[in-house]
Amino acid sequence: MQEKSLENQNDQSLHINFFKPRPGFMRREVIVICMTLLAWAAVTIGFPIYLWLTASDPSLAVSAGRSIFGMPLHYWFSSQFLVLWFILICFNFNVMIDKLTKSYRKHR
Amino acid sequence: MDFSNIKLLPILVLGVALIVSLALGLINRRHFRGGYGIDGQPTGHAGIGAAIASNWMSAASFLGIAGVFFVQGYFAFAYILGWTGGYVLLLVLMGSQLRRFGKYTAPDFVEARFESSGARICSAAITILISLIYCVAQYKGIGLIFSWIFGIDYTKALLLGTVVVLSYLVVAGALGAVRNQRLHYLILIFSFVIPLMFIAKKLGYSWLVPQFSYGTALRELPVQTAGQYLFPWTFGTPYQWIALSVTLMLGTAGLPHVLSRFYTVPNNRDARWGVVWGLFFIGLLYWSAPAFGAFAKTWQARTGNSLDPESAHAIADLIIVKTGEWVGIPDFLVAILAVGGILAAFSTITSLLVTGAGAFAYDIYFRLINPRASEKQLMWVAKGVTLVMAVLILVVAVNPPGLIAEITAVAFALAGNTLFPVFLLGIWWDRTNKQGAMAGMIVGILLTFTPVLLGHLVPSILVWLPPTSSALIGAPVVILVIIAVSLMTPPPSEEVRRFLVEKVHSP
Repeated sequence: MQEKSLENQNDQSLHINFFKPRPGFMRREVIVICMTLLAWAAVTIGFPIYLWLTASDPSLAVSAGRSIFGMPLHYWFSSQFLVLWFILICFNFNVMIDKLTKSYRKHR
Repeated sequence: MDFSNIKLLPILVLGVALIVSLALGLINRRHFRGGYGIDGQPTGHAGIGAAIASNWMSAASFLGIAGVFFVQGYFAFAYILGWTGGYVLLLVLMGSQLRRFGKYTAPDFVEARFESSGARICSAAITILISLIYCVAQYKGIGLIFSWIFGIDYTKALLLGTVVVLSYLVVAGALGAVRNQRLHYLILIFSFVIPLMFIAKKLGYSWLVPQFSYGTALRELPVQTAGQYLFPWTFGTPYQWIALSVTLMLGTAGLPHVLSRFYTVPNNRDARWGVVWGLFFIGLLYWSAPAFGAFAKTWQARTGNSLDPESAHAIADLIIVKTGEWVGIPDFLVAILAVGGILAAFSTITSLLVTGAGAFAYDIYFRLINPRASEKQLMWVAKGVTLVMAVLILVVAVNPPGLIAEITAVAFALAGNTLFPVFLLGIWWDRTNKQGAMAGMIVGILLTFTPVLLGHLVPSILVWLPPTSSALIGAPVVILVIIAVSLMTPPPSEEVRRFLVEKVHSP
């Protein structure tokens, strides 16, 4: 690895760009990052947009349909599920990065 | 409520808490001398998580969020969403890379990455500004609780609180006390949750897990109140919701005192797993905070004791204490809630004042004003600056511009508009250079303070750029500015770019 990078001392070899990740470790890391960000964006941006499209009337917020622990579904989702979701996606991210790091350390 | 009497119990609890924490700090120091571990830092993933959580839990989390629930109902979840989701961004986008970079403060990173002391000074100034704004919110919490304890008006209580904080800082500093982060976390979470259990019991709900049983309380609210309280868009539009939560997330990923806690652990993997635990420990607080709002509303509905919006707003930041008082849990537990709030604010103020003063002494005074200053001189400068900062914060906090959570959000907006883009591009795009970073930071400062300073003159700014939520638009603009300016100016040195490739983006 060390020798290889010493050989390629031209400018091209030093590019770092999230959208054009370097082959190997960085590319696979960026894939994991993108998957996690997708799971993050779904609740951060997707959920309020979904709520905006569906919840139009205050009275619906109280009576509408199902509830969990007595909370209306959207309320339960924000109050208890969101944080749990973030913990889960961080957990999953760590497991995948651990695996990735391990396999690349072996290669070296 | 009797405001003419001084409440002795909270004073006693506060006194005991401060003395015990000092004493434990001294014991810690002894352990530290005996080679107890690096800088008294916890080891083990859960221990690191508790340290992250204790560093995070300020008056904004402890007092502020419940207050926003009380006045804005469902909209308050934007704060919880922002202050937890930010850790995902931090972990995923910069955690490992910044650690491999090996610089632990924002100014250190900026100087090493951009090879420019100008950029370093710029980021140090931002660090100081963030500390100042963040502290204003903490001061408000201290002022409110001291005024509640001593039955004096807010301004006097604020002065008293400042004197107590500074004396504590001086005594702790002189004795060299080391704070036990795990213990601090445990004290805070228990002083939040145990009174909440008693409140649930007193109101007749299942007390074992009030985080779940407050759902039953929500059912009990009269239809109109419930509609307002539960409907997502009573107090804000979908745009305001997304802008606020995204701003808080970007800010979390860029906040200097959060970053530094993240990086003072033994290795990269421990830091990553520490974040998962930290998020869980912070979650315990955020799962509980909405319950205070719900129980306060239920009590109001039962007793027919409704407040007009203005007085509701005035007591919102004290709502956890007020709820305890209203519902009638034992005085001792109300005192614990109040003291928990003070301790959360205290620890945040001390760590932010130290961060801010350090940034001034080492990154601005030493670099710009007196490069030949000795270590001893720098210590004196840092002490003097701590005092100046404390007084500056006091002046702003006398007329707090909003709720605790809202003031804190402005600090997050500043971090999200300046440090977040600089870190993000600095790590993920080798072409980012010092000109780009500096231009970006300056534009970010302008974007943050335009709505704060000009909002009342040109109200239309506030529609798209609310002071608490300016980073949804601000951060992308700053990112574009950095990219444009970087492309127009020469690339950074080969040395830095090689470092990025070989160290920062390799396993």
